[in-house]
Amino acid sequence: MIEEPYRWLEAMGNRRDYVREQLKSGTPVLGTSLQEGILLLGVGSGQSKVFELFDRHAMAGLGHPADLEKIRQAAIDAAHMESFTRAPEDVSLRRLVSFGLSGQLKSNFEQIFSAPFLIELLLAELGSSPKEDLFFRLHFDGSFQSQNGGIVVCASQNDQEQAAQQWLQQATHGKMNRRDAADLLLQAWWCLSRQKSFDGSLPAESERQKGWRKATEDKIVEIGWLSRGASRQAKYDSLTLDSLKL
Amino acid sequence: MLRGEVSANAPQQTQATTVFAFQFADGVLMAGDRRATAGNVIVTDRVDKVIEIDATSLLAIAGVPATAFEMARVLQTSFEYFRRSQLQPLSLPAKVRALARLLRDNLPMTMQGVGVVVPLFAGLDQSVSPPKAQVYFYDPLGAQFQAVGYAASGSGSVTIRSIVSFQEHYGTPRPSEMKLPEAVRFALRLLMVAAEFDSATGGINPATETFATVKVLRPGGVETISDAQQKEFLSARQPGGTC
Repeated sequence: MIEEPYRWLEAMGNRRDYVREQLKSGTPVLGTSLQEGILLLGVGSGQSKVFELFDRHAMAGLGHPADLEKIRQAAIDAAHMESFTRAPEDVSLRRLVSFGLSGQLKSNFEQIFSAPFLIELLLAELGSSPKEDLFFRLHFDGSFQSQNGGIVVCASQNDQEQAAQQWLQQATHGKMNRRDAADLLLQAWWCLSRQKSFDGSLPAESERQKGWRKATEDKIVEIGWLSRGASRQAKYDSLTLDSLKL
Repeated sequence: MLRGEVSANAPQQTQATTVFAFQFADGVLMAGDRRATAGNVIVTDRVDKVIEIDATSLLAIAGVPATAFEMARVLQTSFEYFRRSQLQPLSLPAKVRALARLLRDNLPMTMQGVGVVVPLFAGLDQSVSPPKAQVYFYDPLGAQFQAVGYAASGSGSVTIRSIVSFQEHYGTPRPSEMKLPEAVRFALRLLMVAAEFDSATGGINPATETFATVKVLRPGGVETISDAQQKEFLSARQPGGTC
């Protein structure tokens, strides 16, 4: 089947469509770089979506829990191996993604007789200032984009993801504390998961806030926090809505 | 060469220490001097012998630093790796045994007399509510013992144990009743006395801004007592008592 180039392309296309279809029901995860640290947010109903990877590194993702788990373990293994062999300061997200995870995902995606990874990932590295914070948006096929600071959205649909990210970049202007940032990310999460359009027809702020509160009543809001001010080596902490007074 | 005799070709070992830990009102205080010696030579007065292994564990090292620091690094990596990968912290008994295993693995070096490590370990017992900080001490072969109120290791430990025992029995307040400022002041004075009787213990000297490594483990986690805090606690007026 794969000897002929055309069939190869067709197989890849089918595989891509299959993964995207499977990921459709996944709810987005979001991250933002603030003055005091990096905040990652996801809403789940049992399975975790936001994880600590290493001292200054965290991950959030959507997709099949087993696949998320495989990638999480691979990232943790690689980071700790690097830290033990060299030093914790040598663990970098750029190397972790571009030389490790990306290659593994691409290889897996191109092996058309094995099941593909059903995941979309957002990875974060805490820097010494918001400008030096690093986000990687890693896709199921191993392709990735990086960004310094700002806001990153990870959703199953690319057009929605871009629209939400643009809206958030404008909406977060001046809103730099953790509580307001978490509130805004939850509003965007609600709009994305309810297929709201991010143009002029977006519901008012009060409706968005009411919406996410109602939608998360029977769910778990996971908030990962990489603190720039933490004196400990491990900068990650899990926050709750209560601790943010939300 | 006779059995038990160190080879004449063996390098002069960097060692000697005074480290100790005791229960105070809020948890466990662990402290150590900062001197490393090789024979009668002072190698440095800036060694941190009390090491934060993770958010709820402390290790105080006594013996050969080359081996001890490597043990600390192995523990740091393995505890954090377990917590992150398994999404739950390692239990206190498992942490205590992990250090015992490292000491047993180091047995050949210990028997040759070139890599002896006799550490102290403090960790939070999460099986009780609220979590309680506990202290453990080891022998060079890896046997582990839970300390009831205090433990000490290194060349100055005899002095420390005598004073803490006296204070626990006859002093006011007892170490286990001391608040943080009193406990830190008591710890610093212990080191000053140990340094008087043991040339391999660095002691502290406020005049030259030379302080100890002091960390406390409370139900909320580990806190490092900075040089500035040590200076403040040491110079603060004390309300009374003998500490």
